[in-house]
Amino acid sequence: MRRLKVFKSLVKDSLDTITHGSRRYHIWMAVLTFVMLVGMYCYAIQLDQGLSVTGMTDRVSWGLYISNFTFLVGVAAAAVMLVMPTYVLKDIDFKQAVLIGEGLAVSALIMCLAFVVADMGGPSVLWHMLPGIGVFNFPNSMLTWDVLVLNGYLFLNITIPFYILFRHYQGKESKSSVYVPGAILSVFWAVAIHLVTAFLYQGLQARPFWNNALLGPRFLASAFAAGPALIILVLAIIRNCTEFKIQDKTIKKIAMVVTVAAQINLIMLVSELFKEFYAPTHHSESAYYLFFGLHGKDALLPWIWTAIPLNVLATVLLTFHKLRNNFKVLFFCCFILFIAIWIEKGFGLIVPGFIPGPYGKIAEYLPTKIEVGVTLGIWALGAFVFTILAKTAIGIELGKLRYKKK
Amino acid sequence: MSSNGKKWFSLNLGAKPKTSGGSCSCGKNSGGCGGNGSHSHESKEPQLTEEEFAAAAINASIGEERTKDGFDQVFDVKMDRRSAFKKLTASLLIGAGAVSTSCSVISGEDSKEKAQIDWEEQFKGNYKLMNDEEKKATVDRLVRSYQLRTGKNISMSSKNAEEDVLFGYAFNISKCQGYMDCVNACVEENNQDRNSQMQYIRIHEMKDGKGFNFDEADDNYYHEVPAEGHFYMGTQCFHCDNPPCVEVCPVQATWREDDGLVVVDYDWCVGCRYCMAACPYDGRRFNWSKPEVPEAEVNKNQHYLGNRMRKKGVMEKCTFCVQRSRAGKNPACVEACPTGARIFGNLLDPESTIRWVLENKKVFRLKEDLGTEPKFWYFMD
Amino acid sequence: MNRNLYKYILVGLCLVALFSCKHGEGEYHGVTERIEAESKNYHGTPISSEKYLEGLETIEISEDGHTFLIPDRKGQIKSYACTECHSKPLAQMQSKDLKKAHWDIKLNHANSNTMNCVTCHNPDNMDELKSLTGNTIDFNNSYNLCSQCHTKQFEDWKGGAHGKRIGGWAPPRASMTCVNCHNPHKPHFESRWPARFNTEKVKERE
Repeated sequence: MRRLKVFKSLVKDSLDTITHGSRRYHIWMAVLTFVMLVGMYCYAIQLDQGLSVTGMTDRVSWGLYISNFTFLVGVAAAAVMLVMPTYVLKDIDFKQAVLIGEGLAVSALIMCLAFVVADMGGPSVLWHMLPGIGVFNFPNSMLTWDVLVLNGYLFLNITIPFYILFRHYQGKESKSSVYVPGAILSVFWAVAIHLVTAFLYQGLQARPFWNNALLGPRFLASAFAAGPALIILVLAIIRNCTEFKIQDKTIKKIAMVVTVAAQINLIMLVSELFKEFYAPTHHSESAYYLFFGLHGKDALLPWIWTAIPLNVLATVLLTFHKLRNNFKVLFFCCFILFIAIWIEKGFGLIVPGFIPGPYGKIAEYLPTKIEVGVTLGIWALGAFVFTILAKTAIGIELGKLRYKKK
Repeated sequence: MSSNGKKWFSLNLGAKPKTSGGSCSCGKNSGGCGGNGSHSHESKEPQLTEEEFAAAAINASIGEERTKDGFDQVFDVKMDRRSAFKKLTASLLIGAGAVSTSCSVISGEDSKEKAQIDWEEQFKGNYKLMNDEEKKATVDRLVRSYQLRTGKNISMSSKNAEEDVLFGYAFNISKCQGYMDCVNACVEENNQDRNSQMQYIRIHEMKDGKGFNFDEADDNYYHEVPAEGHFYMGTQCFHCDNPPCVEVCPVQATWREDDGLVVVDYDWCVGCRYCMAACPYDGRRFNWSKPEVPEAEVNKNQHYLGNRMRKKGVMEKCTFCVQRSRAGKNPACVEACPTGARIFGNLLDPESTIRWVLENKKVFRLKEDLGTEPKFWYFMD
Repeated sequence: MNRNLYKYILVGLCLVALFSCKHGEGEYHGVTERIEAESKNYHGTPISSEKYLEGLETIEISEDGHTFLIPDRKGQIKSYACTECHSKPLAQMQSKDLKKAHWDIKLNHANSNTMNCVTCHNPDNMDELKSLTGNTIDFNNSYNLCSQCHTKQFEDWKGGAHGKRIGGWAPPRASMTCVNCHNPHKPHFESRWPARFNTEKVKERE
């Protein structure tokens, strides 16, 4: 009963916090709301007319939505890079960053689920997928695995920070015996969500571009580069805009993580390129299409040739300690790395899987405005959710939000 | 009880938001059903109460052994939970509109029945897991719904796979002349969307001397055929014995029937298109928008798993014309082919022509290395 | 406490791994094996295509252990029997000023060295066909005439690899005979335009 009262007060307080802020904050939230509304309008059109309003066809049957979904699973998984040292290895440096990281994971997961729902042809019958009342094709379908691990991860990432914040809100220390097991579990879980998502594609013998053993590990490597890179950027913004203290040391440690992951990712990229182009087979056609175009069709060339140089540049810059420790360079590197991996893991991975088709036919894919609108709307939703979570969490951590006994 | 579709439908005239599953699918207690049936001519108001009374009586007499369909089949969930779920999601999914129409006394009888059918269709179970009565019930609902909407009658079958039948297909590459009569017949038989010009069959025009080079083949030619120096090869769904599309479906909306047909329950499909990504043969098609067929061109001889009208956002595919093949006929493409390049039959019958082809011709299948075991063979004279 | 936790996680992982093993399905190694095994005790099916053959005159033939139906031919030929007109020897009919009958038939079957009218028709008995050796062949069994040269096609036809089924796949088997698809005087298939053209596909691949 008492807990319920505290919870009620927490909700009230956090509502209070998120509705108050600087002018910049209000503008930010207003813009997000506007983009979300535009996205909802686009989605309404899509609901009404069907997925034909998107650029997808029978040939390329997954597009921008699934690309973003794949990328965001990686971002969500990356929160673990902060959880592990903080909770398990007791590295105090990450303590402040970790709540932000988990908030990021939650909003990324919400975006993931939103993208999946947006991609469905029949969202009104999605209950068919609920275990218990629908038919859940477990364990055969990797998609059911993905549903399980994503929702499980979402649950973990909501409960752990909530517990900690709830305790702090009451002015108590959180008990490590309660949250550490959850944290350890979430470490395994994070690896699982990304591997399972990779297996979703990797298990399809019909698509040789995906059907390679390196896909899973590469997913992990790129996720652990892009996710923490995003966290660094977010931390930088938070440092600037709030009184929340984040030490240089923390950012530098995360930068180290980004660097190592980016290096591994680059090595895997080289290995993949070697396999596709040293002894090209019939199965290398998708890679040819992606990097050089096929039969005069080359819609992906600008994308991938933006991504690769950015990726290489960021990795090289990050490798030098001196450059990495310069925050301006670091933020720049993180930004371009994030963009590069977004292209590589999204468009550069999903679309060429379908091109050329099973019988060598090439139909190119270009997202329509409505598709882009929905996508932006979902990103705005993610940013919105994150802002709310982060604002509340920072408020509690700074001690501004405290439970007052009446 | 369910042998007479008309009688069954008159039962549902009552405007009750709750599913009449109790009256339609209680195969085990014919007494209760018969009792319900006798009320069909009475006025609405009394019927409702009578019906409820009957339901209560059934409940009392058989306890938990009540209606079974959909979710119940799968996880044996009690009726209470199911109806609770239905009530909960009602406003979310169908919207208040449907509820109010199905409850309102003012609105016409037809629209009430329509709403009732829509309601039951929205919350029915997976066809794969239905028993014969439930299959019959949903088919009757769909027939009635079509009648209410268009005023036309269709016949829809829910015929199951026959024992000792396994369908197989052989394609004679040397005979096909590329006329595409099969494509025409298929589109007309299977009520495919005319707007997007959906076609299950693709005929690939290949150059002589290049082998089976699909990359350079043209599957959308328009010139006099057979073209000099070319040969033709048709592809469609191969009804794999080890179908990757079935494996990946998260909701088991697609499966392999006992006679080897790989089918889709259009009403259960959630439209995730994972199966499409998993198919190595380009055998699946998606309804990107609402499929439309001019009323005059609708093939009214339908099967639930076959050529019945689809809706937007669901998967569909070749079913070897299940509405024809289960009745002993050849699929439309086989019948339409003027050159006899297409051979269809029962693989388990040692006397069948398809078996003779497999045993006496040099047959091969496409992408055999993938282990999908297609039941579609190619051969040459 | 941590050690216990790891144990739980390990056990959990093992359970998941166990549960996720695919079951069933792998009864047969391939579809050929399945066909072989399952057709061993084949009892026949109640499905019949007999009703689709109603209204079609058929005759049953038995060749080489294959017994099946083919459409009756004589009933399909306009003004059979031929002797109703061909009452006199050919030479006389050609010279007389009679109404022309088969004047538009152009023989386009092999070359003139190999075939002419009398390779198949018997000028002395118009109601029957004749084999290369001079034996008579009934119009209904004209496939016996074709099979003299087209032995490979004949084999395939008997087995079911050549030609087309009538009715349906289900027994009884009824197949078209040679002349149902091939005009004996001009047996090749004509070239023509495809039945349809998909304009949406063109757009998609632009």
